[in-house]
Amino acid sequence: MIEVKNLHKAFGSVVAVEDVSFTAANGAITGLLGPNGAGKTTTLRMLYTLLQPDRGSAVVDGYDTASAQLEVQRRVGALPDARGLYPRLTARENIRYYGRLHGLKGRELEDNISRLINWLDLVEVADRRTEGFSTGERLKVAIARALVHGPQNVLFDEPTSGLDVMSTRAMRDFIRRLREEGKCVLFSSHIMQEVAALCDQIVIIHRGRVVADGSPEALRQRTGLDSLEEAFVKVIGSEEGLER
Amino acid sequence: MNTTAWERVGVVFAKEATDNLRDRRSLGSAVLGALLGPVLILILLLVLGKALFNQGEKPLELPVQGAENAPNLIHFLEQNNVHIRPAPADPQAAVRNGDVEAVLIIPADYGDAFTSGRPAMVQALYDSSRTSAQPTYSRLSSLLEAYSRQVGALRLQARGISPAVTVGLAVVKVDVATPQSQVLIFLNMLPYLLMFTIFSGGAGVIIDATAGERERNSLEPLLINPVARREFVAGKLLASLPFAFAAVLLSLSAFGIIFNAIPMEEIIGFQMSIDVRGLGVIFLICLPMVLLASAIQMIIATFARSFKEAQTYVGFLPLVPALPGIGLAFLPVKPALWTMLIPTFGQQILINQVMRGEMVSALNVGVSVAVTLVLAVVLTGVAVRLYEREQILFGRA
Repeated sequence: MIEVKNLHKAFGSVVAVEDVSFTAANGAITGLLGPNGAGKTTTLRMLYTLLQPDRGSAVVDGYDTASAQLEVQRRVGALPDARGLYPRLTARENIRYYGRLHGLKGRELEDNISRLINWLDLVEVADRRTEGFSTGERLKVAIARALVHGPQNVLFDEPTSGLDVMSTRAMRDFIRRLREEGKCVLFSSHIMQEVAALCDQIVIIHRGRVVADGSPEALRQRTGLDSLEEAFVKVIGSEEGLER
Repeated sequence: MNTTAWERVGVVFAKEATDNLRDRRSLGSAVLGALLGPVLILILLLVLGKALFNQGEKPLELPVQGAENAPNLIHFLEQNNVHIRPAPADPQAAVRNGDVEAVLIIPADYGDAFTSGRPAMVQALYDSSRTSAQPTYSRLSSLLEAYSRQVGALRLQARGISPAVTVGLAVVKVDVATPQSQVLIFLNMLPYLLMFTIFSGGAGVIIDATAGERERNSLEPLLINPVARREFVAGKLLASLPFAFAAVLLSLSAFGIIFNAIPMEEIIGFQMSIDVRGLGVIFLICLPMVLLASAIQMIIATFARSFKEAQTYVGFLPLVPALPGIGLAFLPVKPALWTMLIPTFGQQILINQVMRGEMVSALNVGVSVAVTLVLAVVLTGVAVRLYEREQILFGRA
């Protein structure tokens, strides 16, 4: 479970996140929706401890991201926007490195790796060097290494960007599967359809602020509009988030 | 899931070592840096060594003007391995232009002066600003002096006087330079060449593990793992050490082979050798330097925005320890204690001493090692601080 309260972050005079609060529950998919530059990536970076908030707090399973970084890192599996692999290592070695950094070893580690490789349909390429992998294969390896330690909280930054239709569908199935396992899944996207298709809860961010927060149903009711797309346009006051 | 800090450092170390062992670029730069010095020395020995040490045996090619005026002198010169050549049309200009190294001019009145017992003038033209002509001129002038003494002695004897009365001093020149210390002129370059190896051996690994990590977009996901930044820095730094150690070892072995196995005697006239023990001591003196080099490279590569930028800056780094080294090749510095306080400089002096077969003072070694290690630790601390900053994600840490 992730609780975010009044997060604020500025780089020099540029305010990236003005005031963001929301709660992402276990066993649910929460979508951070907003146009490019809305502050989604900065918010996620504060959640997975790489940035310190100037004000406010983010708490993961009871641990503050600013003061208990290692505890938070153990409970989080994150797929950042940067998802480079080591091209001279095989897919399995890439995943194993992260597992070992989490202190896993031996049978338990190898079992976790094999399970993720099966899940993500990586069996055929698992023992090849990742040099020359397709975008989809790279993404799968990046997800596998992020989840190798079996974290309760899963943070994905734009997980379907650059994927073809089939891979996008597989990715959505995978995210639903994580929900069925009772994980707290939080992902960011600038694509309305994606969020509408997956999320139990939608947090719309615009210019560093939360402008709407609730289930897709609640959002439609609040705006009095039938389509989520129109609801989205209404809450952020423009059509800039509708590219796909 | 509980691990110790050293286990986590070990995980980072193992990954970087494996990864870089598969990298031709890292390995290539290490091997190249290691063999550059020995190859350079070998070429210098073969080319320069021959030129310097064979000078005495070659016949001296000497243009002479007016050779017909002094047949006895010409005969004497020819007996002493001088090949007489006709003089160029304008001897002064020819010498000044460097076309010939020296010209002997015997004037037409030589014979008259000689037979009447007066000093017969001859002119030896040379250009003192040309270092390469120096051996030729000094050979010529000592031959002329020898002839002059011989003629003078004969004249005194003809008058019934012992030639010995004209000799006030009997100077015996004793050259105490051992053959080895003559060759050490070349070997003065060796300490610097080793510094070069030290600064290039682990550079590939460091750049790949820092600037390369950011360039591949793999730094951000890496830092999300529950590992302290100092543990990342330590693992990456340590991973560069085996590469640098191997490069230094390779370089020293190559030097050892050149000095011991190649028949140096035939090339430069005498054998020289650095024994295995000496090489071992040099290796130990180099060890703390490797640590310092890696720490400096880590800071530079962390600052750099891209792989290329890091490569450029780290590439210039070996030139810094070259500065005292170049001085050392020309001005011999005594191994005073203060010199040990300058990392890379102290080591170069110590290596020089070992090569000369001198006793190395334990205090000097201790001070040099301690200063270098302390600096390495401090700089590693700086690298850790850079890694702990948020800006590490964006470059220009």
